[in-house]
Amino acid sequence: MTHPPDHGDAESGRYEIRLRGQLDQRWSDWFEGFTLTNQTDGTTTLTGHVTDQAALHGLLRRVGDLGVTLISLNVTHNSKEEPES
Amino acid sequence: MVMPVLATKLFVPPLRPQAISRSRITRKLDDGMRRGAKLTLISAPAGFGKTTVLSEWIASSRLSSPDLRVAWLSLDSADNDPARFQSYLTAAIDSAISESGFSDDDPTGSLDVTIPWLLNKVAQSPGRLLLVLDDFQLIEDPAVREAVELMIDHLPSTMHVAIASRSDPLLPLARLRARGELTEIRASDLRFTPAEAGAFLTRTSGKSLSDKDIAALGARTEGWIAGLQLAALSLRDRGDVSEFITAFTGSNRFIIDYLIEEVLDRAPLDVREFLCQTAILDRLSGPLADATTGSTGGAEMLEALERANMFVVPLDDERQWYRYHHLFADVLRVRLMAHGTAHVQTLHSRASEWFESNDSPAEAVQHGIAGSDFARAARVIESTIPSVRKSRQDTTLLGWLAQLPPEVIGRRPVLQVFSAWASLVAGDVTAVEPQLAAAERQLEAAAGGKTGVHDSEPGSELDSLPVTIALYRAAIAMASEDMPAIRQHAQRARDLTAPDDHLGRGAAAGMLGLAAWSTGDLETGIVEFRESAANLRRAGNVLDALSTTIVVSDMLVTLGRLKEARAAYERALLETEASGVEVPPAADLHSGLSRVLHVGGQAALATQHLSIAHDLGEEAFAHEHRYRWSIAMADARRTEGDLEGALDHLRDADKEYRRGFFPDVQPIGALIARLWIEQGRAADAHSWATDNGYAVQGELTYLREFGHITLARALIAHNTPSSLADAATLLDRLLDSAEGGGRAGCIIEISLLVATILHAQQKPATALASLERALNLAEPEGYIQLFLDEGAPILALLRTAAGAGIQPDFVRLLSQSIRNRLQVDPTSTLADPLSERELQVLRLLATELTGPQISRELHISLNTMRTHTRHIFLKLEASERAGAVRRAETLGLI
Repeated sequence: MTHPPDHGDAESGRYEIRLRGQLDQRWSDWFEGFTLTNQTDGTTTLTGHVTDQAALHGLLRRVGDLGVTLISLNVTHNSKEEPES
Repeated sequence: MVMPVLATKLFVPPLRPQAISRSRITRKLDDGMRRGAKLTLISAPAGFGKTTVLSEWIASSRLSSPDLRVAWLSLDSADNDPARFQSYLTAAIDSAISESGFSDDDPTGSLDVTIPWLLNKVAQSPGRLLLVLDDFQLIEDPAVREAVELMIDHLPSTMHVAIASRSDPLLPLARLRARGELTEIRASDLRFTPAEAGAFLTRTSGKSLSDKDIAALGARTEGWIAGLQLAALSLRDRGDVSEFITAFTGSNRFIIDYLIEEVLDRAPLDVREFLCQTAILDRLSGPLADATTGSTGGAEMLEALERANMFVVPLDDERQWYRYHHLFADVLRVRLMAHGTAHVQTLHSRASEWFESNDSPAEAVQHGIAGSDFARAARVIESTIPSVRKSRQDTTLLGWLAQLPPEVIGRRPVLQVFSAWASLVAGDVTAVEPQLAAAERQLEAAAGGKTGVHDSEPGSELDSLPVTIALYRAAIAMASEDMPAIRQHAQRARDLTAPDDHLGRGAAAGMLGLAAWSTGDLETGIVEFRESAANLRRAGNVLDALSTTIVVSDMLVTLGRLKEARAAYERALLETEASGVEVPPAADLHSGLSRVLHVGGQAALATQHLSIAHDLGEEAFAHEHRYRWSIAMADARRTEGDLEGALDHLRDADKEYRRGFFPDVQPIGALIARLWIEQGRAADAHSWATDNGYAVQGELTYLREFGHITLARALIAHNTPSSLADAATLLDRLLDSAEGGGRAGCIIEISLLVATILHAQQKPATALASLERALNLAEPEGYIQLFLDEGAPILALLRTAAGAGIQPDFVRLLSQSIRNRLQVDPTSTLADPLSERELQVLRLLATELTGPQISRELHISLNTMRTHTRHIFLKLEASERAGAVRRAETLGLI
């Protein structure tokens, strides 16, 4: 953990999740309102905001449940930017 | 039981006839089993055929070893309720190893009690057992996970566990792996090889495909079985095989999206509709499907789907219940969502209605909530309260309550009061009273003739609700130690109970008993707890009735009624032994009896009962009483002179102690401080007392009596004129207080301590008077240990009592026992024993009396007295009076 768990704001933020394969738009609801974008390299990115770590883990589990391959996970914007240690 | 065990969850999925044999995997599983691995883990994402591999393994193992029994449990998220997981696990194992299927002697304890019990049962049953836990990724509850870990750690050699999960479970896998106790099957093992893919595609699609086509499909799906199965379904009835494969392999789209569209688009409209609408169901039957879709022909449809290999899995042998393959259901649900939420809610609501009328409350609630049909969900939840309370599946009920809108709960006082209880259990005490008050207002309005004020169904729950409300209020008062309020509410509960509401009366009496006990009114405490026990018995709750023996006996010992306490334990133990009870409070009763015996100086017998308690095993102890065994062990060690060992047991007791509703009348800290005093650490004991607010002039309540006496002991041990004076002052006040409460057991201890102080202060007359009081109270009931604990220093004091003719037999017994503990050689005896008369003279020689006084006392002449004395000196080989007395003491003659 790079942040103490009680550091509420540091947990929430915008994330980008990249998956193998191109997913249909209809999965947007499934992924809690994340925006699905099909990339030209045959991957799909999910972008959206999570309220905390638990929500993020829930989302990742949905990815796992679907059997799609997870390629990467990035924080794209954080309300309180802190350098990653 | 409110939530019946669904047999479908224990059904071993049959091997599909067209399945591809995965012998390379089952061989690996067999090898692991043969190697003695404890756990098989099949960990891979959805759609990799985990369940199918297990089915095939079980089918082939059964052929090769007919003595193999299989317990299968398909987990779902509701199994995160430890009570529910426990009942399913027990049912799965029972139905596998018992000839008769479900047995009725299941333990009533929690998971950490049930697991050893189950493992023991498995170890004693013939043959080998394979336990399968499918869909383990759904288990998140730490208690359930720990129970599985506990099970794997203590697995009998005849048992093996297989876990199938989409993600690696939080179990000590690394440790098991390092010890070679783990067999792992992962995605890379499960992927179809090109050969397997070819055989599978050919068989499932009914088409013969070229090697190139097979290779292309294999590469596109990466051997993912769900993908290959969908591909095969898409190929079926299709002329343009190569065209399809080219389009599919050339597409970047997610395999499932691409293929399901292909499959569904080619399916008839009614099939498509059916699949989407029923995808909301975790398990489905023909009638349930019909109710949900509002159509007919569901049973035929399900059979047709199974024949067509359309991702339906049978859940029983009769083809009544099915489920969709998880991944397939997820995809269908996403498509369904596109139809709009109103449509989805209607489907859930219809399913809820069906489950309600088919006695499946859990699923009725689940779909009711999903369908926003809260009124129905609330009605069903309310109807389950009585049985949930019995089966202790609280977690489930609390989870449901949290999902209901407050205004729906507010319409049902029964539900509202349960929700208040939930708040109480969660520690949110402030949330309790407003809910109780709201429910009470509705009840009053309804009683006043107003109609439609609430929706709770008539029945016993509603009838007894005022009692329940009063009891919960008493419980809140208990949490804040507000004794008058406990009394007020418990009394009200009692006044409101119907004559046949034994449980309600038992609870009210128990609370009144606790309140009385906590305030030092032990006589009332005993009466109430006995009343509580009688009602619990009438309600059929024998175990809780037996538990009251422990608190009643505590009070009896304090009141100086040691014999009654012992008799109460012996009666309770006879009852447990006669009925073969090996659950709480069996072991707690032995611990309690051991303590009572210890107080009576019967160390050997006391130790015997501690061994019995220990041999009964952890599952025979109740959490709230477990520490008592350790305290009794500390007593035993202390009597043996092993003070460090005694301290160790007290530290254990401190760890095991659970702060409950029972008053903490003998704090473990005080027991530790008393041992310190014996070790010569009086200063530490004194610090403990002052740190905990005990003071010579401190307020004396019953709850702080034991601690205050401990402070007095520390002051006595300090042994300065001023500390002795302080101790005397404190003990004087304590004596008043104990007399006020009629606590004879305490008066014995206090009087004894006062006597030792007065003795040290050279005030023989008052010392003797105080000792006499202690002896007179102690003798009839046999309070021996208090005197023995004082050890050698008290011998001189006892000698004065003997001299004064106070309780001579009892005093002799005490003196002898103390000397025995001082490890005097018991074999040394006199060659020429003393006569009875000489013994009488000897006892008086040990006092301060002069020769003429002794002769007057014995009504003999001075000369006769001197003759006796000479004989005594001769026989004891002593030359003067003091030496003779010392020798007599060593020999245990006085």
